[in-house]
Amino acid sequence: MFVKRILIAAAALAYLGFLAVLGAAYLIGLKQASAWPPAGVGRAIGDKDLPKVEKNVQQLEKRMIGLLPKGLYIVIDTAENRLYVKNGKDVVRTAVVSCGSGVVLEESGGKQRKWVFDTPRGEFIVKSKITNPYWVKPDWAFIEEGESIPKGLEDRIEAGTLGDYALGFGQGYFIHGTLYTRLLGRNVTHGCVRVGDEDLKAIFKAVPMGAKIYIY
Amino acid sequence: MLAALLMAGLVCAGPAGGADKTDLAKKQNSLNAEYSLAKDSTFYFVLDILGRKLELRVRGMVLRTWPFQSMRFWGRPELSGNVELVRKSTLKAPERIVIKPGGEAEKIEAAPMAAAKPTGTSAAPSNAAEFDLEALELKDMPKKFSLDFDNGLHILIKAKTRASGGFLGSMREGWRWHIGLPLRNLFGPQTGKGLSELELTFDNDKDAQAIYWHFFEGIKGIIL
Repeated sequence: MFVKRILIAAAALAYLGFLAVLGAAYLIGLKQASAWPPAGVGRAIGDKDLPKVEKNVQQLEKRMIGLLPKGLYIVIDTAENRLYVKNGKDVVRTAVVSCGSGVVLEESGGKQRKWVFDTPRGEFIVKSKITNPYWVKPDWAFIEEGESIPKGLEDRIEAGTLGDYALGFGQGYFIHGTLYTRLLGRNVTHGCVRVGDEDLKAIFKAVPMGAKIYIY
Repeated sequence: MLAALLMAGLVCAGPAGGADKTDLAKKQNSLNAEYSLAKDSTFYFVLDILGRKLELRVRGMVLRTWPFQSMRFWGRPELSGNVELVRKSTLKAPERIVIKPGGEAEKIEAAPMAAAKPTGTSAAPSNAAEFDLEALELKDMPKKFSLDFDNGLHILIKAKTRASGGFLGSMREGWRWHIGLPLRNLFGPQTGKGLSELELTFDNDKDAQAIYWHFFEGIKGIIL
């Protein structure tokens, strides 16, 4: 009986101790929260520095505007599979596209190469504009199908796969057409950006060579 | 009457002028910080705490905006200046599908998906979004994950609608936030490492998933 009481008292003391520590922790937390934002952030400027700061802000704003792409440019959201043609801040055209599947292809024999089918992200430019493009099938296209890789270039050429137009943005990546329009809006490609016929035609006609492409 | 109005104007102009100067100083700081990132072609983010939004930008352009529904923090989170994401972690990270030559596909993801090769025929479902593909898509991204920054800031991103593993998950989360973190905050500084924990809750699952998709390790950003 006595031992039981001692144990209950010890448990109660431990519980109270825990509550006290937790209370102290919350007090410290509240003190830290009340000190936010930290001193010195957003400190006001002295009157004599005001014109200098105003000028500096204006210059920085001008510089920021100067960084924006000139004329029409393309923005591609790989997560939403959307392509936007923009002019300044205005969206001129929106298209549903298909971007990279993120699948990894591994070559079991031979050179044991590996390909990751991602649409590259970053800032690019339109490097080429091609009408009635042919697809020069790369090695991975044959490996993926379990076929042997041909030696001659003529065996790699496939017509009609890329649609009527293609805009190249480097390293073999293109914005091009597709036969699989039902899959627009999904991540299914090997890295290129597939666009529906009507959108592709409009984009091809509107966007000039050298236009910026932002893929994120 | 006019004198009274002028006096009122002067009284009002005093604090307003001070506020303008503070705003101007803040603007100068944020523009300086952003320009240093925007002059390069890489993507960066802006976490606007007071504006309650997270933005992905490039060259000063806003690419995506994710407004957050609520935020809470423990410790002394560094909520200003330039930061770099050093680690993106989640309980179950999405994994890529590996295809071996000869059409043999190996699905590494825990949840099995039915393979659907692009056929382009009328046999395909009427809505492309209906079936699963052998692909890594936005829907495969986690709805709850954490971001660790180079200044020690730890941000937990989660969606409001996320089913957090039922009752046990809620208990675990409650314990972590209401007991674990306060105690770590109390005892942490003695080990020389102060707690810096921020939690952002987003309205839509897709917002949290898109942040996971677009934020890569090494991305730089500004916290305003």
